[in-house]
This record gives sequence, C-alpha cells and structure tokens, in this order.
Amino acid sequence: MDTFTEIKKILIELLDLNGGEITPETYLIKELGAESIDLLELAVAINSRFKIAIKDEEIFLTRFRLYLTEATQQGKDIGPYLACKYPFLTEDRISEIISNISEGPQLKIKDLMSYITYQLQEV
Amino acid sequence: MNWKFSGKRALVLGGTCELALTLAGVMIEASLFPILTYRNEMGQNIIKKALPHLEGKYDACYLDLGNRDSVNSLFSHIGDNLDFVIDFAQGNYESLIAQADGDIVFRYFNESVSMRAEVLKMAGRIMLKKRKGRLVFISSTAAARPNPGQGFYAAAKLASEALYRSMGLELGRRGITAVILRPGYVDAGRGKEYLRVHDKKILETVPIKRAVTQEEIAETILFLLSNSASGMNATDITIDGGLIYGK
Repeated sequence: MDTFTEIKKILIELLDLNGGEITPETYLIKELGAESIDLLELAVAINSRFKIAIKDEEIFLTRFRLYLTEATQQGKDIGPYLACKYPFLTEDRISEIISNISEGPQLKIKDLMSYITYQLQEV
Repeated sequence: MNWKFSGKRALVLGGTCELALTLAGVMIEASLFPILTYRNEMGQNIIKKALPHLEGKYDACYLDLGNRDSVNSLFSHIGDNLDFVIDFAQGNYESLIAQADGDIVFRYFNESVSMRAEVLKMAGRIMLKKRKGRLVFISSTAAARPNPGQGFYAAAKLASEALYRSMGLELGRRGITAVILRPGYVDAGRGKEYLRVHDKKILETVPIKRAVTQEEIAETILFLLSNSASGMNATDITIDGGLIYGK
C-alpha cells in the first residue's frame, strides 16, 4: 500500500479536489484549505484505511506552537523537546517547521505520511 | 404514526433504566435495533427480563462509565455500524454543594461528563464515516431548575447538554445532529421515587396535574430519532406538562 497514493485518494474524496495539486509538499491547511472538520474526517478515514490508532493532536501538529513556547519558556533545548513530542518527524522537518512557523499552519501531506509510517512500524 | 428513520442501530446508554427499557420496546416495534448498555450482571438480567421473547431483536453490552476500557470494548463490539445514540446514563449524587465529598464529586463528574465526552467522540467518529447520525440526550428540567441538593446533578446535566449541543453544532454539516430532551416529573425510575418521597401533592404544581408517562417519553424520543425531526439540532425540548413555565 503506497501511503501517499492512499492519502491523496482520501483527500480528493473529502475535499472534492481533482488531485493534480496534491504532492507530499502540499500544505494541508494553507493550500488545500482543510478546516477542522475536514481534519477530523481525515483522521477517521486514515484510521479506517490504515487500521492504525490516530491521535489527532499529534498527526495534525495541533500543539506544535504551544510546545515551542513551552520549550522556550522553560529554557529547554527546542529540537529535542519537539522531537520527543513528535517522534515521527525528522530533525530536519522540525527545524523547517520552526523556521517557517510565522507563515501560517505548516502541516504538509508528508507529515501525515511520516505519522502513518511511524504508527505502522509501532504496530 | 409510522415514522421513517435513516438507520437502524441505536446505542442506548443507561439501558437498564425503566425509560430506556420502555423505549427499547417501542424501538423494536418500529424495526429499530437497540443496543442497551448495562454496568453489572444485575443490569444484564433486568434487560433480559424486561424484553422477553425478543432475543435477536436487540443487543446488550457492558459499559461502566467509571472504566475507560469498557468504553473501548463497547465500541469494538459495535464496530462500524451505528446510526443513533440515546443517552439515559446518569449517576446521582445528592448533596448540598458546601457539604459535598470532594472525592465523590471528582468521580461523579469524571463519569458523568468526561467519559460521556469519550463516548460521544467514538460514536461521532463512527457516524462520520456514514455522514449521518442522530444523538438524543435525556436531560432533565432539574438542569434548569434544580432543587437544593441537586446542584451536582444539574451541573452534570448542563455540562452534558453542552457536549451534545456542540456535537450538533460541529458535525451538523456532516449529517450528524443532536437534540436534548428535558423531561419533568416522570412516573418512572428516579422520578417515581422522588414523587413517592415528596408526596404526590407536588403534582399539583404541574399544569396538567400529573406526571408525564414513560410511554409519552418513549414515543417522543422515537419521534426525535425520526426523519421528521431531523431539522431539530443543537437544541433542547422540554416535556414537563408545563411545569417550569409557571412559578
């Protein structure tokens, strides 16, 4: 099962897209306009398709900003702190999100793919 | 009246109370399939006894809102097929607020509010797959007008009402709606006991001079589950014979 193809299929159905605009680098909220209810449906669909448990706040990086503030306020090393909260993201990806965070929601399709791959390995 | 329904399988939380059992009978007659929850063996036997000769037309499943694992087991049992939730589940804790036992209060709200939210989350996620579902929460007029000592009960009911309203607000556009029914004095279960303890003269305060019957409640719920009531969402309906309108 190709994770990207499956996610793409789900998104085309949920967001009524033609598919051409979806790549692993596509921003889910900024570019595809996914709203909170779409993300909820996406979580349900991923759970159903891949048979993995989904923690919505993790897969959608919902608390990323909060953790970033937390680490800063507590004087912690930001990279390892966030890596601990998001073990499915690479160090490079975490750095990328931090550097672009002022530009709006950073969630990309590839983050979903990372989460799914990580969860499948855990199972 | 032959109501039409978009679905068949209905989870009935608190399935051992008199009202739930009356509703189960009415639902079976309407070709719906109730899944009644019980929290112990006694409850399981109550269901069996109340619905004789109806095996195969309903299901019964263990659920203890004090035990999170039982919520997971319940939904594993239900699978991906759920159309309705009717929620009668409600523990009772009567105490003046200033007199209450902190541990009991903590447990009470955990079971009555937090675990209910967990059940709603899981039910909502099943319903989202079908993009349809109906939730009915059985509240009480005591949510709006509690007697002294009913403060925790009223608070739990109001908090739960807010959960249901929000489900209807958040998921309405995906075909999942919620409605709250607030019965007044009912001649069943806790209501029957209350009327016995507080003397039937209390019914003099009700404009229709009687308690609402179990059958009236059950038929109203059936209507609320029907397609005819699908425009009602994120709102509450009172069935109290006019009790709370007057002084």
